[in-house]
Amino acid sequence: MLTYALVKHIWNAPLQNGTGYFFGIEVPAGFYEGAGRRWMTGYHATVASLYTVWAVALGAIVVTRRWQMTPLWAGGFALLFVPAMFAFQAWTRHRLGVNPPVRPVALALETRRLSDYISWPMEALAVALVALSWWLLLRHAGAHFDWLTPAILSWAALGMIPGKMAMVRLSFPLPAERTEEHYRFQDAARRYWIRLSGIMFEWFMVVVLFGGALMHALSPMRPAPVWRWVVLACSFAVWGYGIIVMFRGMREMKAMSVDLRPAGSWRTPFRRATLMMSSSRPYLIWFAIWFGGILAFILYPLCKARF
Amino acid sequence: MFLTLQHDDKRPIYQQITDGIKTLIARGDLREGMTLPSVRQVAGDLGVNLNTVAVAYRQLQDEGFVTVRHGAGAVISSRSPHPVNQAELYKPLRTALTQLVLSGLTGREIVEAVREQLAQLQQKGGTRLVHQA
Repeated sequence: MLTYALVKHIWNAPLQNGTGYFFGIEVPAGFYEGAGRRWMTGYHATVASLYTVWAVALGAIVVTRRWQMTPLWAGGFALLFVPAMFAFQAWTRHRLGVNPPVRPVALALETRRLSDYISWPMEALAVALVALSWWLLLRHAGAHFDWLTPAILSWAALGMIPGKMAMVRLSFPLPAERTEEHYRFQDAARRYWIRLSGIMFEWFMVVVLFGGALMHALSPMRPAPVWRWVVLACSFAVWGYGIIVMFRGMREMKAMSVDLRPAGSWRTPFRRATLMMSSSRPYLIWFAIWFGGILAFILYPLCKARF
Repeated sequence: MFLTLQHDDKRPIYQQITDGIKTLIARGDLREGMTLPSVRQVAGDLGVNLNTVAVAYRQLQDEGFVTVRHGAGAVISSRSPHPVNQAELYKPLRTALTQLVLSGLTGREIVEAVREQLAQLQQKGGTRLVHQA
């Protein structure tokens, strides 16, 4: 269901702001009857070829039963997919959105405090659970324990804390018309991304890590199957909750953004047209470190084994 | 509460921010004790240099409209700034009136325009302010 929703979302991504836009760039009326068709075909061909690579690689792993290649497959696909999508969007902006109109910009005089968006007691709990997990693992894990998995989980989970802080700082220019609606949409989007990332990338990882550590602590030699199921059930509960939040959020965001001017379709007197995520340098730096760290964790043992 | 910056405004950005905040104070939208967003937030939201916003805030502080407290940010201090010489106070008014006279408006039209602008300024509860170029 998740894969279907994501593929559908990605497939229709250029039209997310309606037929007046292509990837948030304002296009003339009738664009999709003419040049727009070619652009959509090109985009769909790019997405389809990326997913073909993904499916073929997965098929090869299944047929050859080389399950140890799964992390490389996941990491490799992310390495291929993310830059490819960014490159396509950059190319689109270069060709279609060379000179977006300059419009008046509004400034909200509301203070965004970190504590309005982030629950510090919950963050402290997450940190405490990660620390407790490591304490349990250091005490009870055997000599042949694979430390890479808890390291990746801890990096991903704790890395979300500065990530959330960077997301609070995220903003894109507010147009001078329908400012209130744009402001409310931006704020809702910010809260949605912080909440979703917190569930999927922080709490999910914390539950898996803590569950695993607890399992080792309770039966260090050979974890009882029942514990595996309990950990699995807890992890899926968190993941399932995340999926619900994601679907509800996507619906809410879509409803709120109807007829609103997309961020990248205009520029302010002081700033060029950018997408929301690429408009904040701290966010981009955080993402590069966080995502790069995860990839390094995944790829390092494979490279080490090979050379 | 929003402040709108026009792309064809000839004033420097810091001046537009300063004037906008002053008008909101004059209208009573920004009241004593209210906190302004941090320099970093304003700079990030507008996509301008930190120093530009810092200069605007410093000007407001120098004129006594805000107090910058370490850790608390810029807080609106008062509607009445530091006492200013009356001649100094009327100088921009005289400049504006000169412009209006030179543009061919009659005395009656000028008085009407001033009355209208003053009524707009005193209209409370409005949340938007647009600077005309």
